[in-house]
Amino acid sequence: MARNIRRWIIGTLIIGFTVVFLVGTAAAAGEKVKIRFQTWHWGEKPVLFALEEFQKEFNTANPGIEVLRDESRYADKETVFIAQSQAKAAADIAHFQHRAIPLLAERGYLLDLTPFIEKEGGQKFLAQWDQNAMETCKYKGKIYCLNDYVNPLALLYNTQHFKEAGLDPNKPPTTPAELVDYAKKLTRNGRYGIGLIGSRQEGLFMRFNPFFWGAGAEYLTPDNKRSALDTPEALEGFRYYVELFTKHKVVPPGVIEQGAQEVRTQIAHEKVSMEIGVIQAPLIYAAINPNFKVNEVMAAAAVPSGKKRVSTVEYGMRVISAYTKNPEEAWKVYKSWVSKDVQLRNFKIYGVMSARLDVKSSPEIANHKFAKIFAAQAPYGKIEPLIPEWPKIGDATITAVQEGFSGTKTPEQALKDLHTATNRALGVK
Amino acid sequence: MHSGRTWHDRHFGYLFVLPATLMLVAVLVFPAFITLKASVTPEGGGGWHFTLTHYVNAFRDPVLAQAFKNTFSFVAWSMAGHFALGLALALALNQALPGQTFFRLIALVPWTIPDVVAGIIFRWVLNPIHGALNPLIQMVIPSFPAEFQWLSSPTLAFPSVIFANIWRGYPLVMVMLLAGLMAIPRHLYEAAAVDGAGKLRQFWHITLPGLSTIILIALALDMVWEFRRFALVVAMTGGGPGTLTEVLSTLVYKTYFQFFTFEYASAMAIMMSVVLFILSLPYIILVGRKQ
Repeated sequence: MARNIRRWIIGTLIIGFTVVFLVGTAAAAGEKVKIRFQTWHWGEKPVLFALEEFQKEFNTANPGIEVLRDESRYADKETVFIAQSQAKAAADIAHFQHRAIPLLAERGYLLDLTPFIEKEGGQKFLAQWDQNAMETCKYKGKIYCLNDYVNPLALLYNTQHFKEAGLDPNKPPTTPAELVDYAKKLTRNGRYGIGLIGSRQEGLFMRFNPFFWGAGAEYLTPDNKRSALDTPEALEGFRYYVELFTKHKVVPPGVIEQGAQEVRTQIAHEKVSMEIGVIQAPLIYAAINPNFKVNEVMAAAAVPSGKKRVSTVEYGMRVISAYTKNPEEAWKVYKSWVSKDVQLRNFKIYGVMSARLDVKSSPEIANHKFAKIFAAQAPYGKIEPLIPEWPKIGDATITAVQEGFSGTKTPEQALKDLHTATNRALGVK
Repeated sequence: MHSGRTWHDRHFGYLFVLPATLMLVAVLVFPAFITLKASVTPEGGGGWHFTLTHYVNAFRDPVLAQAFKNTFSFVAWSMAGHFALGLALALALNQALPGQTFFRLIALVPWTIPDVVAGIIFRWVLNPIHGALNPLIQMVIPSFPAEFQWLSSPTLAFPSVIFANIWRGYPLVMVMLLAGLMAIPRHLYEAAAVDGAGKLRQFWHITLPGLSTIILIALALDMVWEFRRFALVVAMTGGGPGTLTEVLSTLVYKTYFQFFTFEYASAMAIMMSVVLFILSLPYIILVGRKQ
């Protein structure tokens, strides 16, 4: 009896193990490689639609690979990726802007894409991209990304408000002085001339820089070793941005609390007439206020930057994590995302301009009311110095601008302190 | 005398605390060690090369000095506010009033709201264009500016953040004090009343001494929590205007995750922990004595 029971137990165990082994092997054989595609855009319409379209299309065309949704948030995208990288569990593909590339590459968190690019044809393959944009993907001789969008800034203005203020909507301001003049005329009946960003976010540089650089100022000396903020040009540019709020009073109150989205909300609800904005802003206005007739009312023009024609540009890119377990599959997903068809579709869905030359020069962009103006700004696009110390200098710049806005310090004192903080960040004794 | 217990009996208990000990080592000791090691590692370096440069730099950093100053001020005012409001409400809610349970629940609501949400709520309430506060004040004082700037003002931004934090955090102190009040025997008050003691004397000679231990514990815990307050400040001001509302936790976060200077941020975090430990000593000693 006992022997029978023992036999029964052993038999059951053998059969059980066999079943588990066979099922496990079969499952492993049929298992898809999962590629985590991380971006803050999973939570934002209409970009979300472009991502879902891509995910669906890629997963259908590639049965062995599954693109997975992996959410980050704009404000802490680096935080999420750093924490995950330190745990060697970062998303396979992650979305950043140009400022983060040297910092993440320096820490070894990014996969060098050079070997993949070589396999695709090297320079011939790379020639499809805007070469200025590609510079932001290179660090110490390696290529860590292929840009997927170029985001130059332009002046966006409400033509209806122009007409009401007696201004010609076909003649937008072309100089900083004209901008002040227009903004003063537009500031009436509880409405303000221009919306500025004053809160602690990257968007502040993007709006501040055209006036700062336009005045002929630079953050650093040409060798990036010392601060160049002690020049009359730097003071002119700095003072101009701050005084739009403090002296000319053409900016809504609470500028220090205003981020990009707050300014867009004010434009969409017609509390503000102009802003320095990005290409996708018109679509966002429409999403914020569906009753706002964006295409009829809004127009775009070059940023009236001053002596030097210049605009800020932001480059967006995906990177592949150095800790991905499936680099080949990740590259396949990556390549598909930056392909012409996907990039063109992205423009159609959420209005962003690709860094691919064939997409940038496509009739869809050349004939688009807003895109053609933004595309014309790209050659004048400039970025902040790509050095590891930049985030600290950038933060000190925000501090100085906020001190100017709030009146904590005079523009002269705020800039002087910024000059000192910049040199301290660079290790200048 | 031999207790009769074997070695096995005496040590068997350790086996039961082993999982908890391992867990503590994993989530507390290990990260603390890693942070301490990072704080003495050269920037971008690794291995076992050590330096005290980050600590030397920290003592010369004006932004860190400002953050320390702001943090102490933030903690002191928050604790004072939590205590004053918490005690007042605890005394009120300890009275036998109709709807007592309902009011106790209502008073707890701010504690249930996450920091970030509380920060965003206050940011909107205080917004000069769309906020609810300015129109409310205008109803009482018609001459009050319609677009008054609270969070953009160098003098009012910090008090505004502290006010929001007092609102968000008083229920914890209130609940602890209420529990303490409920534990004070009623007959002490009855005897004092028979002896002719008024409400104020009863409060001074019975309530306060009866609550003294709870007050110390509540304030010590509050201090530790407020010292680490992060999300509320980030959501309301991001440390601005300038660095006027920058506190240690926001600065450490920024230095680590935005400036990518992991080692310097670790040194700041260690300094913050040391200060916090020193400030917590009275609580630690008190708890030790009680045990």
